[in-house]
Amino acid sequence: MASRLVRILPAWSRFRLGSVAGARFVSQTPSPAAAGSPTVSGLSPAEHNDDHGHVEVSLYEKNRDFHGFHKDPQVDVWNMKVAFFFGISVAIVIGGTFVHYLPDHGMRQWARREAERLIKKREAEGVAVLDGNYYDPSKIILPSAGEEK
Amino acid sequence: MLKILIPTLMLFPTTWLVTPKWLWTTTTAQALIIATTSLTLLNWNSETGWTSSNPYLGTDPLSTPLLVLTCWLLPLMILASQNHISSEPISRQRTYITLLTSLQLFLIMAFGATEIILFYIMFEATLIPTLIIITRWGNQTERLNAGTYFLFYTLAGSLPLLVALLILQKELGSLSMLIIQYMQPAPLCTWADKIWWAACLIAFLVKMPLYGAHLWLPKAHVEAPIAGSMVLAAVLLKLGGYGMMRMIIMLEPTSKDLAYPFIILALWGIIMTGSICLRQTDLKSLIAYSSVSHMGLVVAGILIQTPWGFTGAIILMIAHGLASSALFCLANTNYERLHSRTLLLARGMQAVLPLMATWWFIANLANLALPPLPNLMGELVIITSMFNWSSWTIILTGGGTLITASYSLYMYLMTQRGPVSTSIMAIEPSHTREHLLMALHLIPIILLMLKPELMWGWCF
Repeated sequence: MASRLVRILPAWSRFRLGSVAGARFVSQTPSPAAAGSPTVSGLSPAEHNDDHGHVEVSLYEKNRDFHGFHKDPQVDVWNMKVAFFFGISVAIVIGGTFVHYLPDHGMRQWARREAERLIKKREAEGVAVLDGNYYDPSKIILPSAGEEK
Repeated sequence: MLKILIPTLMLFPTTWLVTPKWLWTTTTAQALIIATTSLTLLNWNSETGWTSSNPYLGTDPLSTPLLVLTCWLLPLMILASQNHISSEPISRQRTYITLLTSLQLFLIMAFGATEIILFYIMFEATLIPTLIIITRWGNQTERLNAGTYFLFYTLAGSLPLLVALLILQKELGSLSMLIIQYMQPAPLCTWADKIWWAACLIAFLVKMPLYGAHLWLPKAHVEAPIAGSMVLAAVLLKLGGYGMMRMIIMLEPTSKDLAYPFIILALWGIIMTGSICLRQTDLKSLIAYSSVSHMGLVVAGILIQTPWGFTGAIILMIAHGLASSALFCLANTNYERLHSRTLLLARGMQAVLPLMATWWFIANLANLALPPLPNLMGELVIITSMFNWSSWTIILTGGGTLITASYSLYMYLMTQRGPVSTSIMAIEPSHTREHLLMALHLIPIILLMLKPELMWGWCF
């Protein structure tokens, strides 16, 4: 609980500072002139979370058509195409069609049809539709009570 | 089975031999092909259970949907991790994918196992890659604590299970599920028998998790990186449910009395963890507690051992797996931009990222069990079955449904609606990758509405 508060507190202090200074908190572009607004500088260096001393630059800066896969634009486009092809076209469309045309799953529809057919047949014959005994009791031959092995 | 196991095994050489530039492309493609191949397992055209070409690995209508879910999840995990892992050195990226693949392998063998001991070994084996993923790639210092809780809670539950299985092997002579399903369940009269009964189930109850033993889950889900959270929420929890369904068939008739405290705990857990969700400030923690809540319903459904209970449990496990994983992916898209999971910081995102808001909306609707999504169908089947078992449960399950709707709506409104948080001045636009990830989560849920009999198990 306390750790959660500790995590929230810096965010609150950033909140207050942000509304006063109007500074950016997430994207820290290296050239303020291009961004057109003051950057966060030296407010809390520990929160920059840099990799090897570089600032966090959005990959959209270099590649306007960034798809989120890879920083090399060609690999990015190919990865996107491959992922969409195998994910949507193959797995969902072809896989979905395959699953749709699978035969009667668990023979449930067959069971329904068979039950209706048997009911129709038994009602036509005048026999009871359902009988408690699976086997005909008159056909079961039991040993007499006196017999012993 | 081999047509899925061998390509998964070959994912190891793929990961280590492919050029770094094309690592993620090739692994994603291969994993998606494996997922497509796993759909062939859904073919079940007899009315009896097991489909197996050998005595050791087989599928039946319970394990098949979970297997397909597992295979489906690997490419999604790879897609989700691609961004945050790409800044690491290439060998560490390969190690990460290797861990995900080994987890996948163990899970496939666990769900496909026909021997209970193989299932147990794979059940334990999945702990190791998950532990490494949580403790090595988690983002906060609490990850060590989380890993410890995760490992020791599960181990403490499963060591009694090992003893119980060995006793069972000695009694019955075989632990093959193909044989055990025909054996007469022995009446359990002595105290030792009752402890044996508990030992069979506690491992899975901890894994699900049951409310009293759930403390590991919020920690592990929150501290894990996105792939870890996805696999934990979507599949590893369901290992517990699957194990319970397998074991409980041979454990009755004593289960009717001994299961009472666990059913009550599960139902109470739905209410309690749902209420905790309403008080969360951490987004991932909210989703984690929501998982506990949904799994409480699944536990209750399994423990009453009725056909509808089992069917509802399977449906809810699959639907929750996809919906919960989708929510974790959405939380991760926030986290990658803001490096914080605090709900307060990510308000009003609909104005900033309107397309992602659509996914947030659909995922939250799935979480709150909107008809006609399978989440509702599973919940409804379980609630009906529980009502038949005891009319009083409707108070708890109905209240649970209400609270689930509340916190799902709360999550949606807190992240998407309201004024845009002034602390978020420059957010990256949503990546195509993230949209694809969400589509691949939510389209299967919608497609499952069209053919739900795939998830009904062997009871319905």
